[in-house]
Amino acid sequence: MNKRKLKDKIMLGVISLLAIISAIPILMIIINIYAEGLKYVNLSFLINFPPPPIGGKVGGIGPALVGSLILMSLALVIGGCIGFFTGLYLSEFSHTRLAQYAQLFLQIMVEFPTIIIGLFAYSILVAPLKRFNAFAGAFALSIVIIPYIALNVREAYKSIPHSLKEAAFSLGISHSKVYLKVLLSTARRGVLTALLIGMAKAAGETAPLLFTILGATFLYFEGLDQPINAIPLLIYNFASSPYERWHQVAWGASAVLLSIILAIFIISRLVIKEVRM
Amino acid sequence: MRWSVKGMKVFYAVLIFFTFTSLIIIAGIAVSLITVSSPIFMKYGLDFVLKSVWNPVTEDYGILPALLGTLMTSTIAILIATPLAISLAVFSSEIIPQRFRSFMNSISDLMASLPSVIYGLWGLYVLAPILHNYIMLPLHNYLGFIPLFSTKPTPTNLFTAGVLLAIMIVPFASSIVREAYAAAPYNLKEAAYSIGMTKWEVTKITLGYIKSAIFAGLFLALGRAMGETVAVAMVVGNVPNIPKSLFDVGYTISSLIANQFPNAQAYEYMVPALYGGATLLFLVGLIMNLVGLYFVRKVMIKS
Repeated sequence: MNKRKLKDKIMLGVISLLAIISAIPILMIIINIYAEGLKYVNLSFLINFPPPPIGGKVGGIGPALVGSLILMSLALVIGGCIGFFTGLYLSEFSHTRLAQYAQLFLQIMVEFPTIIIGLFAYSILVAPLKRFNAFAGAFALSIVIIPYIALNVREAYKSIPHSLKEAAFSLGISHSKVYLKVLLSTARRGVLTALLIGMAKAAGETAPLLFTILGATFLYFEGLDQPINAIPLLIYNFASSPYERWHQVAWGASAVLLSIILAIFIISRLVIKEVRM
Repeated sequence: MRWSVKGMKVFYAVLIFFTFTSLIIIAGIAVSLITVSSPIFMKYGLDFVLKSVWNPVTEDYGILPALLGTLMTSTIAILIATPLAISLAVFSSEIIPQRFRSFMNSISDLMASLPSVIYGLWGLYVLAPILHNYIMLPLHNYLGFIPLFSTKPTPTNLFTAGVLLAIMIVPFASSIVREAYAAAPYNLKEAAYSIGMTKWEVTKITLGYIKSAIFAGLFLALGRAMGETVAVAMVVGNVPNIPKSLFDVGYTISSLIANQFPNAQAYEYMVPALYGGATLLFLVGLIMNLVGLYFVRKVMIKS
């Protein structure tokens, strides 16, 4: 009897220890990024051009920040549209063969290596135009977020009680109004969460941008058919470079990116909490 | 009459159109990978997968080192991540008091949603030196006679990449296990407690009950580890040689693509070779995900 109790204590202790070990990295990452990165972040860091590799002041990440915002909004418009309507279809017509295939494919896509999507965008939008361009990056990002948005929108609409759907249809208004006005207001938090998840993905993904937007460091936005930069790509390029000055910019940019992600994360938590109350 | 049959048809046509668009994009990805990579498979056939050479000058490409690198890093990752992910799931659903649970889950979810480039930066400048000084060097110095530890380690190598991947996939795998744990029938636990079982024994039974979900989580996490690009490219060393030990520098398929693609256009066969690598990655990812989804479905039917 005592042996079993002892074993119980030991095993629960081991589990707790392993769980705490696995939570340490996140705390270290947040502390390290802010301790190392916030030193460089101020208003001019958000506006200025990056510094030359050697000499000069730390400069800033202006073009990358502008580029990231443009890419995020474009990806959210394209991916949000396709993802939302796909999700609605998956939820309301789940018995059709099209919906079943689409759902399986999208579930597989969620976990797919995003670098493959980068190659795809390269071969259909960069290679034919013979120029790296912002639109190819936004296109790649929207492909990345479509499955996340579609599957979450599907969940949101699926969770609406059947009686409510029947009541909405019995109003005698058009079907598009039922889905986009009456039922959307019930599912709005789920849909909002889906869009926020998509936004966070679009803000942080690097691999789809590697071969699409080039990362033009010294240009603000010049047009959708021109190369631009994005924060994750800048971090990747600068952190892998041999220059100390660029490492500092990478740390600062990481602090900015982490803040964006944290902000989106906290908002989405607040949205979910509201649902439960 | 406020609505018309025609309007309804248009609306449903829009829905079907967008769903088709999603499907076409996914199909397009597969088609473009296969078409662009076909020259390399035509030229070398299976040799492309089995050869260890990366020579742009002679247009000679074999992807074996990167394939081995991918297998090695993801194996290291899954070996480390499995106990951690299961412990984290059990800890947050069984051990800590109720009121800290949602906080703990938030931390884990936040970890899963951090961009991989942030993991990469942290891995390169914080994790790699720590592993180098406190784990890899001692292992090499005292146990260097074991082939696994025989290479003199540099901070960035396959082992560092594996550990970083483990850190990245733990929260993801654990969230799948956690959801299944919460869905396990309560009367199973009650029955177990009522015959005087200890908490650990009940946990063991519950884990046994949800083992499909655990497999699902681990397979999906393994798929993620194999495809992860940016974080790995920053810490793996990026040298195309057959790994001789855990501490050797190497490549993974995705980091090879990320690194070599920018100068691939200058050569005739390098673009097809890299798309060939991506095709392999696509196939492996497809298998991992299908197996993972199969286990997920099994859980859903059960509960």
